[in-house]
Amino acid sequence: MATITAPLGQGSTVAGKQFRVSDFLRWTIDHKIIGIQYIATSLFFFFVGGFLALIIRTELWTPAVDILPSGTAYNTVLTMHGSAMLFLFMIPIWAGFGNYLIPLQLGAKDMAFPWLNAFAFWLFPPAGILMMMGWFVGAPEAGWTAYPPLSVAYSLDGQTLWIVALHILGISSILGAINFIVTIRNMRPEGMGWFQMPLFCWATLATSIIVLMATPFLAGALTLLLLDRVANTSFFNPANGGDILLWQNIFWFYSHPAVYIMVLPGMGVLSEVLSIHSRKSIFGYRMIALSSMAIALVGFTVWAHHMFTSITPQLRIPFMITSMIIAVPTGIKIFSWIGTIWMGKIRYTSAMLFSLGFLSMFVIGGISGVMLASIPVDIHVHDTYFVVAHFHFVLFGGAVFAVFSGLYHWWPKMFGRMLNERLGAIHFWMTYVGFLTTFMPMHWAGARGMPRRVAEYAFEFQTVNQIISFGGFLLGTSTLFFIANVLWTFYNGKVAGPNPWRALTLEWATTSPPPSHNFDGMPIPFSDPYGYGTEEATAYIEAIESHYAPQLPKASNATTMAESNA
Amino acid sequence: MAKDYFGTTLSREEIEAKKREREEQLKINNRRLGLLIFQLSWMMAFIALIIVNWQLRYSYPSWPPPNVKAMGVTLPTIATLALLASAVLARVALRSVKGNHLMRFITQWRTVLGLGGVFVVIMGIEWFSVQMGTQYGTVFRLMTAFHTLHAVAIGAYMFNILRNAQHAQAVLQGQLTNDGRAVFYHAENYWAVEAASRLWDFVFIAWLLFYVVLYWWRS
Repeated sequence: MATITAPLGQGSTVAGKQFRVSDFLRWTIDHKIIGIQYIATSLFFFFVGGFLALIIRTELWTPAVDILPSGTAYNTVLTMHGSAMLFLFMIPIWAGFGNYLIPLQLGAKDMAFPWLNAFAFWLFPPAGILMMMGWFVGAPEAGWTAYPPLSVAYSLDGQTLWIVALHILGISSILGAINFIVTIRNMRPEGMGWFQMPLFCWATLATSIIVLMATPFLAGALTLLLLDRVANTSFFNPANGGDILLWQNIFWFYSHPAVYIMVLPGMGVLSEVLSIHSRKSIFGYRMIALSSMAIALVGFTVWAHHMFTSITPQLRIPFMITSMIIAVPTGIKIFSWIGTIWMGKIRYTSAMLFSLGFLSMFVIGGISGVMLASIPVDIHVHDTYFVVAHFHFVLFGGAVFAVFSGLYHWWPKMFGRMLNERLGAIHFWMTYVGFLTTFMPMHWAGARGMPRRVAEYAFEFQTVNQIISFGGFLLGTSTLFFIANVLWTFYNGKVAGPNPWRALTLEWATTSPPPSHNFDGMPIPFSDPYGYGTEEATAYIEAIESHYAPQLPKASNATTMAESNA
Repeated sequence: MAKDYFGTTLSREEIEAKKREREEQLKINNRRLGLLIFQLSWMMAFIALIIVNWQLRYSYPSWPPPNVKAMGVTLPTIATLALLASAVLARVALRSVKGNHLMRFITQWRTVLGLGGVFVVIMGIEWFSVQMGTQYGTVFRLMTAFHTLHAVAIGAYMFNILRNAQHAQAVLQGQLTNDGRAVFYHAENYWAVEAASRLWDFVFIAWLLFYVVLYWWRS
């Protein structure tokens, strides 16, 4: 494979654009601003969802209902916590990362459809507000899964707003996914084949395919639910010929693949961060890329494992098998990541710490996932805290750790300043310890029979619940360190320079933050986006530094840990 | 002055023109792929409703349920043929635009919309004539309404194209002055027509699925 050593086009050095806060509050078609708008809005809802989680943990400090006025109120808090975290934080924040990074990593000026991109984002805040307005008209209380008849007969008008909000979010997701696929397919630069794309692009591609194929199913299910609520139909009412399992089938046909919508981009982040911060070429590039596609495909064949207790027993075995098969491509990724960092020159930056946190937590979440795919175990722990532990290990231990890893890694590119590494390390360790203290004991509580989604529980579970709640408070507190870090960075953060991590992917071959047209001339991608450790790679990186920031000392001085050679 | 890959010397204007041409080509490629992906994605919403129809059948010993009159196939078959003719003619009309035959395009596009109108009217009749009281009627109404809403929305877009074309024709014939708002469809500007034609294909294919499920699939 030919190695390109002249990375940059001819042109004058472009100063990084400094953003103002007002830039993020208006309609714009600049993919970078839209990306940050997505991320900021999602983080807002992350704090909302986190606050609701703390209310839940406070309520569960004692076995009786004592903080909240009733069990119904507890149900509303629980529903809004799950809905905010999944639909208003986890899914859209990856759209934010994708928006910011995809055109940059491909050396493009913008997304394929810039206007559509902005439109997709501006559907998101109103949908979030609509969902939150549920608090004023009777918040939904059927859980984030909205099973009928709870969501039809027992929920107030907030449930209707919830449905409409999800419809709007679904449209936003579909429009975003179309944009990602077209951009990746049509706007790669000359010299960048499919298998020379950064792995984050592969992850976003796989995610977008899932969004496009699964989200319309959710739209269908939501339409039926809405009609049952407002038009007096009875699609889910067996008394009138409806079918209660209809919702479960269609909802999980969307919502199980949706788990991969939340996790796959995080895996893309991991592939970038682990390679860059251990100064090693990615191990098994093609396998990581193709396993994302395999997960996207197999993800559509496993939905009924959420219904082991309700479907025809003969159907359980096939779904058990497919659910176990999906662990294979995931295992390939884990193996490849370990191979990547093995014997590497690991730099324990905050980004790397969070990625390593993902790696360890996701393995545990994956193993408990395989346990739950097994019918006897699933039936035993069905609707208990074991399930709660599992999906938090996957979604918090996996996806949220990846979000923070991505933020620490690309923050310098987004804003031109480094986040504080010491505060980042404190943030990581508090999150890690808080996370384990919160969610590890849930396995025990669940295996012992503590049911989920209840405000009252048996006295024997009080101690374990207090440990869990303590962990939850620690986890909540850890986030304050991230906020402090962000505030500190805006005033005191070191100037990042174009390429503080000495990376080879194209987003680093421009100023930090990049100018509105992204690149100074036509960027030429390095032949291997993870080809660290060669003279050509060093020459490429030094050419970037001397072109974009000749006035700065070596970009690697931005952090002493970046001193490792390329 | 610069040389291209084959050693031909190009002026700055020629280089700029080639660049513009590449960008235009990229734009149209992006639009075509984007629309195709949207169609594939949104078809899943129709498939979801087919699954709903399928699963609801299990609540009854037969489909249509006992004592429920099955919908006849004559009218919907006429509607299907009208929609098929309409979709084919939309493709022909697109070719007329690409060949700069605006007048011919307008005539064909009017026929496309007329046939689409026949389809929508028949669907309205069907919607009101289905026997209600069981899930058979409810899911029938849901599916036909869902599809017809798409047909009407895309039909409105097509009607707007017709208005633009008629306005442009009037300007060309000197009946109206060009106030700068006239949209001229021709061999270099036909994306709106192509998009409408592709969307109309989508309406037909989605309907074909529903037609089989609603009228021919009994159990």
